[in-house]
Amino acid sequence: MKSLGRIWNALANPDRIPRLYAVMLGIVLIVGFLIPLALNDHQLYPKPAPQSQINAHNPLAPYDRGGTLFQERGIVKAQYPQFAPAIGEVTAYLSPIAILVKKTTLYFGTSIYSSPGGLIDEILYYTRGFDTVLESSILMMAFTIASWVALNFTMRRKED
Amino acid sequence: MDASLFGALGGQLLGIIPLGDIVFYFTPLNLFMCAAALAFTFLIAISQTESQVEAEFGSLHDREVKVEKKEFKIRRFLAIVCGLATAGAMVTGDLFDFTLFVCLIGIVNIGIVAAVKQVDVLDAAYQYGLIAMIASLPLFGGASLILASAGTISLLQLVQLSYTTPMMALGSILVFMGVAGESGVAPFFATKAEMFRTPGSPFLLIIHLSSLLVIVRMIEILLIINKPF
Repeated sequence: MKSLGRIWNALANPDRIPRLYAVMLGIVLIVGFLIPLALNDHQLYPKPAPQSQINAHNPLAPYDRGGTLFQERGIVKAQYPQFAPAIGEVTAYLSPIAILVKKTTLYFGTSIYSSPGGLIDEILYYTRGFDTVLESSILMMAFTIASWVALNFTMRRKED
Repeated sequence: MDASLFGALGGQLLGIIPLGDIVFYFTPLNLFMCAAALAFTFLIAISQTESQVEAEFGSLHDREVKVEKKEFKIRRFLAIVCGLATAGAMVTGDLFDFTLFVCLIGIVNIGIVAAVKQVDVLDAAYQYGLIAMIASLPLFGGASLILASAGTISLLQLVQLSYTTPMMALGSILVFMGVAGESGVAPFFATKAEMFRTPGSPFLLIIHLSSLLVIVRMIEILLIINKPF
């Protein structure tokens, strides 16, 4: 019992908790290598075969979803199509700058021009739009905390 | 969507809020936990900070320890965001959305711990930040493993699957590890740093409440994915 108390006392030190957590996570991940890699072929958000669009010299590769703006729907799948009535309609939109770049280079799809004025990822902004809202709120809170800590603890030390 | 399937969700389905693929759903348990988080958030939003009276040693004077208004405001703001994120995590019907809510809770918890002007508390906040950073790997990695092995991450679809592959079990365990790291260890650090006795403490209780509610919800999600019964 005495040694158990020592273990508890050692664990009560906040410095040791990250190490303990990292060791446990490492054990789970190593055990995870033993688990058979069973992937599902019927993915909710399918992608074209790797390199197929690049080999076809498509400048939008690997993000080309086809379709014509407001006329023909592109290939975008949703889990609940009944909740996304306009899916695929604007996925082919390109801004004038994006069209210009698309004509000059084969690598538009992987360049920085591809967003936000270029390809519109409808999975990101339409079917799973709330995720994007949450991601930006996480970023906003991180910047709020970092700037508050910097302003009050780092830059005004002499006032303390 | 078939109405009979929702029995497996742990109760009668009272309603859904569709936001594209992300569907919020309400069962009695979810609704109760969401309402509890929202009610506590409301109490925090209207409450004042508590101030402490310390007896001075060697004299008969008392010293009142108050929190500056600036510090009070940032901690109340972070506590409210934490409460709203907890309420959202209770009712979301999408696994990736749940992990994002938990990540938001983790970030805000770090902020609440780090906004205290005491060196010991800041040391504890640093260690907690390390864990939260490590924990984002299993959190999102587990969710993506479940998407890869099940083909979907909507809980309303996962509950209809008749099988559980070992890959899905591993993914759910990883998500559990991530939730433990982002939110589960927060009360430990808050308690070790004796934050509940520092001035302006009532806001910190949201750390405990969010941790408890998120763990309960995480166990519900583990049951939905793994279907042990």
